[in-house]
Amino acid sequence: MWILALVITALVALPRHATDALTTPGPGTRESAPSTVARTFALPQPGRVFQFPADHGSHPEFKIEWWYLTGHLTSEGGRRHGFQATFFRRASEVSAAPHPSGTIAPAVASPATPPSPPNFANDEFFLAHMAWLDVDTKTFRHEERLNRRGWDAQADTNRLDVRNGNWSLQDLGPDAQGNPTLELRGGIQADLFWRMRLTPKKPLVVFGTNGVSRKAREPSAASHYLTFPRLSVTGELRRGSQTGRIEGEAWMDHELSSSQLGEGQVGWDWTSIQFFDGRELMAYRMRRDDGSTDPFSTVAWVGQDGRVSQWGPDRFTWRGEGQWKSPRSGGTYPATVLLTVPEPDGRPGPTWRIEPLCADQELSGGIGGVPYWEGACRVLDASGREVGRAFVEMTGYAGHLRRAL
Amino acid sequence: MSRSTPPQVQRLLWTRFSWRHARQAPWTTALLVLTLALGVAVYLAIRLANRAAVSSFRNFTDVVTAESDGMILAPAGSLPESLLTGLRKQFPDTPVHWVPVLESTAVEPGDGSEGIIGNRTTYTLLGVDWVALQNLAQARRAQGPETGSGSPPEPNRAHPSAAVLAQDQGSGSVGGATLQDAGTPGDQALLWARLQDPRAVLVPAAVAARLRSPTLRLVIQERIVDLRVAGVLPDDPEQPRAPDNLLLFDLPALQALTARPGQLDRIEFVLPEGPDRPARASALRRDLEGWASGRWLLSSPSERRDNAATMTQAFRLNLTILSLLALLVGLMLVYQALDGAVVRRREEIAILRSLGVEPGRIRRAWWIEAAVLGLCGGALGLLLGWAGAQGAVRGVGQTVNSLYYATTVRSASLDPVEAAVALILAVAASLAAGGWPARQAANTPPAQRLGRGRAQAGSRAPRWVLPGALALLGLGGLLATLPALRLEGGSRISLAAFGSALTWLLGAGLLAGLLPPMVLGRLAAWDRLSGPARLGLSHLRRPTGRHRLAIAGLVCAVAMTAGMAILVGSFDTTLRGWIERTFMADLYVSSEGAQSASTQNRIQPETWKSLVAEPEVVAANVVQAVELQLPGGSTLLFGGNPAFMRDQARIAWREAPTGDALWDPACNSGLALASESFSHRFRLHRGDTLTLPTPTGPKVVTLAGIFSDYGNERGAVVVQREHFAAWFGDELATSIIAKLRDSADAAAVRARWKAAHPGLAVYTQPHLRGEALRIFRQTFAITDALELIGVAVSVLGLGFTLASLLWERRDDLTTLRALGFRHGEIAWATTIESLVTATVGIGVGLAASLALGWLLIHRVNVQTFGWTLETDPPWLWMTGLALAVLTMAGLTGWSIGRWGASLPAEREE
Repeated sequence: MWILALVITALVALPRHATDALTTPGPGTRESAPSTVARTFALPQPGRVFQFPADHGSHPEFKIEWWYLTGHLTSEGGRRHGFQATFFRRASEVSAAPHPSGTIAPAVASPATPPSPPNFANDEFFLAHMAWLDVDTKTFRHEERLNRRGWDAQADTNRLDVRNGNWSLQDLGPDAQGNPTLELRGGIQADLFWRMRLTPKKPLVVFGTNGVSRKAREPSAASHYLTFPRLSVTGELRRGSQTGRIEGEAWMDHELSSSQLGEGQVGWDWTSIQFFDGRELMAYRMRRDDGSTDPFSTVAWVGQDGRVSQWGPDRFTWRGEGQWKSPRSGGTYPATVLLTVPEPDGRPGPTWRIEPLCADQELSGGIGGVPYWEGACRVLDASGREVGRAFVEMTGYAGHLRRAL
Repeated sequence: MSRSTPPQVQRLLWTRFSWRHARQAPWTTALLVLTLALGVAVYLAIRLANRAAVSSFRNFTDVVTAESDGMILAPAGSLPESLLTGLRKQFPDTPVHWVPVLESTAVEPGDGSEGIIGNRTTYTLLGVDWVALQNLAQARRAQGPETGSGSPPEPNRAHPSAAVLAQDQGSGSVGGATLQDAGTPGDQALLWARLQDPRAVLVPAAVAARLRSPTLRLVIQERIVDLRVAGVLPDDPEQPRAPDNLLLFDLPALQALTARPGQLDRIEFVLPEGPDRPARASALRRDLEGWASGRWLLSSPSERRDNAATMTQAFRLNLTILSLLALLVGLMLVYQALDGAVVRRREEIAILRSLGVEPGRIRRAWWIEAAVLGLCGGALGLLLGWAGAQGAVRGVGQTVNSLYYATTVRSASLDPVEAAVALILAVAASLAAGGWPARQAANTPPAQRLGRGRAQAGSRAPRWVLPGALALLGLGGLLATLPALRLEGGSRISLAAFGSALTWLLGAGLLAGLLPPMVLGRLAAWDRLSGPARLGLSHLRRPTGRHRLAIAGLVCAVAMTAGMAILVGSFDTTLRGWIERTFMADLYVSSEGAQSASTQNRIQPETWKSLVAEPEVVAANVVQAVELQLPGGSTLLFGGNPAFMRDQARIAWREAPTGDALWDPACNSGLALASESFSHRFRLHRGDTLTLPTPTGPKVVTLAGIFSDYGNERGAVVVQREHFAAWFGDELATSIIAKLRDSADAAAVRARWKAAHPGLAVYTQPHLRGEALRIFRQTFAITDALELIGVAVSVLGLGFTLASLLWERRDDLTTLRALGFRHGEIAWATTIESLVTATVGIGVGLAASLALGWLLIHRVNVQTFGWTLETDPPWLWMTGLALAVLTMAGLTGWSIGRWGASLPAEREE
């Protein structure tokens, strides 16, 4: 899930050419801009041993981090819903420094640039997205929120406790199996507010090779990609003055990196599927500017036992079928996805048909400025039987992503 | 018969009767319309100027929040940032945007000279979290209905947030120079830079248009800072427009620039659009009230606007009453003119009556004439009033700036409601003034004027006049003893005192009409007077009702004008004395940004500490100030040095302190001084205790003394600065008063301090004294204009009355000419009549003005503003006024006498 990179970089500029040291020049090189000093960030290291619950929390040494939940729920009366709740953290590439002398006229005071104040810090931004789909009425609502690190947005480094306004995701402590029990609070404007308790049904999965998930040829374009592929959800939904029960299943990614995009990449497609048979599948396709699939695309099975098996783009195909055009952004997205992946044991597998539960699940990018489609889908097999539920993310279809980045 | 008169008769009456007269005497008609217009114009101009000044009060955050649902304020000082975390914890699930706000002020630097205070635009610096602005923009856009496909919020290009983060708004330019955010796509590192630049600012289009470079140099606190213009605030007619003096900062940047880290001025709250927003807002407010439990105050943008209106209410009401008095004098003139017209047209009325036109129709004809006069005068008054408001608004604006809050109001628009009220007032006034003449006209018997008529005979005043006048004077005396009406927010209005002024004016006017026969009847040397003198005076030995009315009009005008002059003169004397006693130190230092009452520019501790440590300084009073919200209204709390006040100023005590504890910082932590305004407003006196809300908890102080102060009408409490600094946790000073060594050259020290701190305003004692007086006199500019109008109208009224009297007596004039009286002698007789009438009017008017002056000084002023003044009537000015009115009356009498002497006996007008 790299929508983080898409949205936040539109805001604060992700460098296109990252280096291993990831030392980026600050804008102080321009005469008109204030002086700043570059910051350095950590890169994902193979073989990293994660320590929990601290590693569920924030990692300020990395530039980019997100906690990304998607899921399918049922409310009272059997109404179906899809939801998305994402919390992003993005560190500034530069830190403030005193202005160079000479930019201020003589006899004019030269207030030194203050250190980043704790309640309104400039060193980290927190973006969050919430989305809610009412499948029966085909109503899709979403809201974005951006805050700087401080009083209204923060992430704990010792445990999972990330907040953005009145939205939060917290680790309430381990259950009997030692798995974390999470609480999600989120909502859409004044219309909806939900409180969910999420309990992993399967152990945590670390995607990638030796704990590192590569996204592009550049060594820095990589992440630590931690996932709870299936969590049970119970909670309540407040709609106006009415409150009702909700339940269902969710998927949660926690990813940390310092750079994700590579040269020539124009967007990506991503999906997570929870099959009714207890297996899960995650696939992403990095799209290049010539229309081809980037070699660093991946598909991964999570077996019923939690074992992960993954392949590169030479073993799977991702095809779009039909089109849906957004009336707002003008972006044209594939209406349906046809995904052909090998079986977990490597044998050729069937083609899954992934159909949106509602065509219009585009997030307008009101704050980030980059629209993208992320929505609840159902998964059909070749006979048209529903075999699972999915979430799909499609970026770079509304406007030129490279330009935004 | 009366019922059978066709309606055409009414039209005929209008064209052949009213309209013909108006055409035949165009100058008289024009003068009458103009007089009425003037009265209406004065009223309207003041009302429009008041309205403009009140509406200019802006809650600047509206530009960002499109009017928030409410706000949290500290009862004194600033709010701590920690309150934000507390709010989120207290209301974890509530969908609400808490918007922390810091506000300050700044001006562009001057040329280094001492200069005029208050002549530069004060900018309001608004600090809000630029990053969180995005969320507000989204919250303020209504979501689509929950049916069908949702309509997610789009980026709002007209919201200030667009100027912060939108990437394509770099097309903005300032003076031809491209803004720093005008980066090419992909150059987004500049976006980071904008947020990290501690001197980035967003400016309104008007400011951007006049800048020659993307740099804006301002005095913030006491420092000159070059700000970088990072963007231009969008100007969308559908959004609250950014005022031209608003500058938008990122909150932490403004905190750093103003040296107020961790401080907020208020926290506004904005609920997202959606169902039941008013109900949600009320519920949240209720919950907040419970949570705040007296520690914090809750308010709303509309309440803040109301407070600003309440704060200036007394001042505005005083001006409105003055303007209504101008209209009242104008009314008298209309009455006199219409009454004169009845006299002149009596023959015609009698003929009409003989021809069968019933009295009702004649009355209606007069009503219509009065109404048309009112309409014409009113319409012209609207134009004049609107034009006058453009001038008045500056006067009102300057006063509001000096005393209440910052306003940049430059023009007043013609408000339809005010205009309609003024027009209705004009017509109603004209009808009221025309009522008695219309009745007189309708009562004219047909037979009376068919033969040669007689002028209205002189008569004794009706029996009720003397007791009526005495009763009015008595009632006025009673009203003068009543207290002021107390309004919400601590404002007071002296309604009873104004009522007293009105009854005294009427009583004096009635009484004055009785004087001529009493005095002239006892004139022993009557026989030795010349013929013209006897002739002139004979009319006053048995004066007509018109004489009495003319005298009453003059009494009113002279009393009002001179009464106001006594107030202004006394104020002037008092203030000069106060300024001399108070401003006895050598140098007065404030931020150069301190240009109005609401300035928030302060001097940072390192600066003032370095100044007071200068070797030339032998004593200094470092003053800190904060606005204080008390249960009875808002006031000001100062931290200062009482011992310095005692030693370096001669304070005029209303209630002097006893004992020595007040002067010793070690012993005075529980003591405070209060200004007289404060004492009146909050009804507290020496020895009373007062609880001051502070960030470190409530502090109970005992008032040790009450001193005279004319700096503001909201009142002031002074405590030792060291205690103030401890209570409020900061040492930002509003001003420094320095006493220099005797050998020091104040001008040289000033020049040196100014060179070292260009953002400071350093005033020498003579300059500050001069400026204080100038600002005070400026606030009375409007009053002066109203006075002049009053005098002009009253003299015109005298002229009208004399002309009517002579017209009525034109047969007598013919007889006089036949008896050998020359034109000059007749004119002389009229001049004497006019002069004596004027003398009585002026004499009684001046006597009444003393009473009125007393009322204004000792009742209205004390009750409304809490200022005790020395009574010092400007005798010379009053003599000048008397001579001027007398001269004008003489000239009017002479010229009308010449005109009257030439009238043919049988001439029809």
